Amino acid sequence: MSTAEILTAIQDSAVAHAISKSNHLVGAGLQVVHVLGFIALLAALVLISLRILNLVFKQQPLSAVTRDANRLFYLGLGLAVASGVLMFVSSPKLYFYKFAFELKMLLFVTAVVIQFAALRRVAAHENPHPVLARAVVAVSLAAWFGIGLAGRMIGFT
Amino acid sequence: MPNLVLFAEWVEQLPISTAIAESTYAFPIVEGVHLIGLSIAVGLLFITDLRLAGVILKSVPLTQVLKQLRPWILGGFASIFITGGLLFCAEASAMVANPAFKFKLVFIALAALNAGYFEFVIARKAAGDLDRPIVPRAIKFAGLASLSLWTVVIVCGRLIPYLPSTP
Repeated sequence: MSTAEILTAIQDSAVAHAISKSNHLVGAGLQVVHVLGFIALLAALVLISLRILNLVFKQQPLSAVTRDANRLFYLGLGLAVASGVLMFVSSPKLYFYKFAFELKMLLFVTAVVIQFAALRRVAAHENPHPVLARAVVAVSLAAWFGIGLAGRMIGFT
Repeated sequence: MPNLVLFAEWVEQLPISTAIAESTYAFPIVEGVHLIGLSIAVGLLFITDLRLAGVILKSVPLTQVLKQLRPWILGGFASIFITGGLLFCAEASAMVANPAFKFKLVFIALAALNAGYFEFVIARKAAGDLDRPIVPRAIKFAGLASLSLWTVVIVCGRLIPYLPSTP
């Protein structure tokens, strides 16, 4: 199966038809869930970052702050990914060949890899090495903020 | 309201407005920065609200949460107001006729009133009780009210391009 055939198959699926043939406010609702989920995710990430950099809650253990923040992070990630997948499925050909979308997916994969390979490890130490901590936080924030910027470009390019 | 329409038309003619409106990339980039500012300001405000409601960060004293997150929240809000103002300038005429935009402003005003009431009335009255394990109910309600109002602000904001303008 070629890429085009796969995209056509997705576009012709029952889920895709259900979304694309429904009222345009269903699509708007997915956008609303997507942005709310993304904001929850970023809020948690900003909190974890500020704590790792010792800019807030220095008196509290890093593990206590990240444990609570992680719940919010995964809630946000779940909402954003679920709504994002539904949006993509409803019109895969519209998104797949867009540069902004491709960039967003590339950044997303990068951000997830950094999250699990680096940020979680840094946060696992009570006193991470300051230079390493700063570098990982900077790259992680850049990747997730980049996802937001690339996401906003999708509708305009 | 003809004055409002005239004002919007005047704003839209400003050099900065036409520059943003006519560029392919300026508008989405400003929107992207608006979104990032939002995730810092409203995002950290959500975390404060969840702490007020007693959902997360219970190991951190409430007064510390309020005090330490405040500068980041205010800094984020500065960036949202600037980018939001620029976005308004570029589409002023459409915005003053857009129902989602009007509702967004109303809910921002309500959220600001709630924040002011919390800051100057509830938190002052309960100043001695803030760091106790069980906080007064008014504090929980203020947190939940803030969480709900800002969520509605974001929903209205995202619906701006989806709801038709009404004259």
